[in-house]
Amino acid sequence: MTSSGAPKMAESGEEVDVLVQRVVKDITNAFKRNPNIDEIGLIPCPEARYNRSPIVLVENKLGVESWCVKFLLPYVHNKLLLYRQRKHWLEREALVDITCTLLLLNPDFTTAWNVRKELLQCGVLNPEKDLYLGKLALTKFPKSPETWIHRRWVLQQILRQCSALGRSRKQQGEAGQGDAERSQQLSDHLARTLHQEMKVCSDAACRYPSNYNAWSHRIWVLQHMAKGNVKVFHDELSSMRLWVSMHVSDHSGFHYRQFLLKELITELSQAPASTTISTSSPQHRPSNNPHHQGHLQANGEMSGAEGVCEEERQPGFTVVLQLFHDEMELCTDLIQSFPGHETLWCHRRHVFYLWHHWRREHQHHHCTSNGGTESVNLNSTDPGLAKASERGCEGRGDSVNGQLHATDAMEVDAVSLPDPRDTKRLKRGILSPCPPALPSEHSFVSGVLDSCNSPEQRRFARAYKKWLDTVIGQQP
Amino acid sequence: RVSGTQVKDVVIKPDAPSSLLLDKHADYIAAYGSKKDDYEYTLSEYLRMSGIYWGLTVMDLMGQLPRMNRQEITDFIKACQHECGGISASIGHDPHLLYTLSAVQILCLYDSVSVIDVDKVVEYVKGLQQEDGSFAGDKWGEIDTRFSFCAVATLALLGKMDTINVDKAVEFVLSCMNFDGGFGCRPGSESHAGQIYCCTGFLSLTGQLHQVNADLLGWWLCERQLPSGGLNGRPEKLPDVCYSWWVLASLKIIGRIHWIDKAKLSSFILACQDEETGGFADRPGDMVDPFHTLFGVAGLSLLGDEQIKPVNPVLCMPEDVLQRIGLQPDLLT
Repeated sequence: MTSSGAPKMAESGEEVDVLVQRVVKDITNAFKRNPNIDEIGLIPCPEARYNRSPIVLVENKLGVESWCVKFLLPYVHNKLLLYRQRKHWLEREALVDITCTLLLLNPDFTTAWNVRKELLQCGVLNPEKDLYLGKLALTKFPKSPETWIHRRWVLQQILRQCSALGRSRKQQGEAGQGDAERSQQLSDHLARTLHQEMKVCSDAACRYPSNYNAWSHRIWVLQHMAKGNVKVFHDELSSMRLWVSMHVSDHSGFHYRQFLLKELITELSQAPASTTISTSSPQHRPSNNPHHQGHLQANGEMSGAEGVCEEERQPGFTVVLQLFHDEMELCTDLIQSFPGHETLWCHRRHVFYLWHHWRREHQHHHCTSNGGTESVNLNSTDPGLAKASERGCEGRGDSVNGQLHATDAMEVDAVSLPDPRDTKRLKRGILSPCPPALPSEHSFVSGVLDSCNSPEQRRFARAYKKWLDTVIGQQP
Repeated sequence: RVSGTQVKDVVIKPDAPSSLLLDKHADYIAAYGSKKDDYEYTLSEYLRMSGIYWGLTVMDLMGQLPRMNRQEITDFIKACQHECGGISASIGHDPHLLYTLSAVQILCLYDSVSVIDVDKVVEYVKGLQQEDGSFAGDKWGEIDTRFSFCAVATLALLGKMDTINVDKAVEFVLSCMNFDGGFGCRPGSESHAGQIYCCTGFLSLTGQLHQVNADLLGWWLCERQLPSGGLNGRPEKLPDVCYSWWVLASLKIIGRIHWIDKAKLSSFILACQDEETGGFADRPGDMVDPFHTLFGVAGLSLLGDEQIKPVNPVLCMPEDVLQRIGLQPDLLT
């Protein structure tokens, strides 16, 4: 260990040991004194002040004076490695304290997380404690891959515990009120965990822009803890709306929205077409997918998509059209308000791509049953939907030819953008949504090129047009 | 929030380095390993095996491998192999696929794979394949397309690809392909240049590159080039020497390297050198490290700099080493 720049009191190896053991204890005590610590940080401080601990607790913030880190880290690092090589025995309590200090200083030390996994498996630690430690580490290191990896492992333990509890109760044959109550408790517990996890992801996303690990973790959490739960996905989509509007450069945040949209569309399109006529609110129809059972169940209404016609025979499809309409409208607003952001143009590509494929799939599905001339919504008498489906057919005609002709776009320009009055009526729920179409996209690009001077914005607009022509236009 | 646009890029200063300082880089790497009691060295011990791979590979590409201590390194690797066959980043750390690949790569540079128990390495890798074809990074079960790459790269270098279910492995990687032609870490995850490198490399090693939409992916990869010439790893991120390698290598694998401005990229990479200390940083003016030094030099090699040995884009190893092993991963033309 070097002693350059070290305080006088820590010159000898023995003195360093004493000092560091005291600091590890101070950290443990700080957590005991305040179980609500919500952030950790380094306090720049090159010299130790005599007789004062380098661990500082102010309100809910835990700080470590920087001078001590170069003693503290090698010490806990070597202690743990000696233990791992069976050269030095550590009591369980000491292991908990040492890995805690080590991981708050160096959260990518994989082996330290693994030691905690073993402590968790033998019941010395509980999962919530480790989720909390990870959350704190992420306040200082919001990208730390190993911290996110450990969280997924812990969450899987929680999921396994819950499903084992559920099974054993069924086997014991506990009946009636108690059983229902306990399964409600389990489901509440999972819902709380899910909610906390979303919060941890949001915090990390705010601390570091385009945080790949935070957003891909958030996707993993939904895939494993809320699969098929339309309510959760819809709530996420709603709450993300403001976030992305304030983070227009954050491609990972927008990708998360694309993921939500795709999952919602898949779920909503799976619902049987003929059995839902009498449901009072089509949006929260339970999924017909058997593997969704046993996951968190949707309860309550979906927000933000009120006023969908109850008699509509394809309620899921109407919600899908609404989702596409809203998303493109949001994207248009943001592109116009914040010119020159590649992220927004990428988002537009993805949303249009999703729409394009959804439409083709569902048209195809319907064509086989009604002669190939009608699109999904032609059995509706609603003028807005008829208009949407008419555009759907135009788009299809374009792609049948293998490429888009510029003249096609010109001819339909007049109907390609929704009338602003329609949009207002739409928001009140009178008119059904107008989804995007190739011609309307081309006229959107022309509009940007005609009116915007930002060279970046123009470059992105031209790239989008080229993408429409080649990637979308040349698809069979 | 201000609505004005600020392009996320760097400006290369006129006095930035514009020629390759090979001697400086060799001195930098040779000296790096001798500072073992350094605080930074402790901090990065959890990835030591990969660190050694970065250092040795760049030394080999510069024709300076004999300057490194071969005996010490092979002894170290031997000591890092565990009972299960897997290899850890350093002594006392837990085994992982990431460091198992790095160790095998180092031993291939030294033509001395036999210092470890190869059969056990193969068993370890095989044991990490999951039912859906994916690979866990270690016994704790984290899934990532990076680990699919580590698994097949390790086995390809050892000539044991037939021990795993390749079809299933391919199926999983393809399930991570996105609408933009790119790949993410798991199904549904965002495209990322590092993951794309792993997935195209994986498909090359498994002979499945025809499954890539090369034009679409090539387009996305080319859009990573910024006005400075540097490449980023995702939209609206800053350019970085390591992403320059991952994007460039992926373009080479799918036969679209001529789609970017090579001269501009080359001057960006050269500008990331530190004239005083040697080594490359992520961006001009930042602190250098062995990781960016390897990817800077390897990138320049792919761009055709003849002072450097040709590098293989799939395995990021000198081509002459792979010729010796008899491994020639597919590339699209």
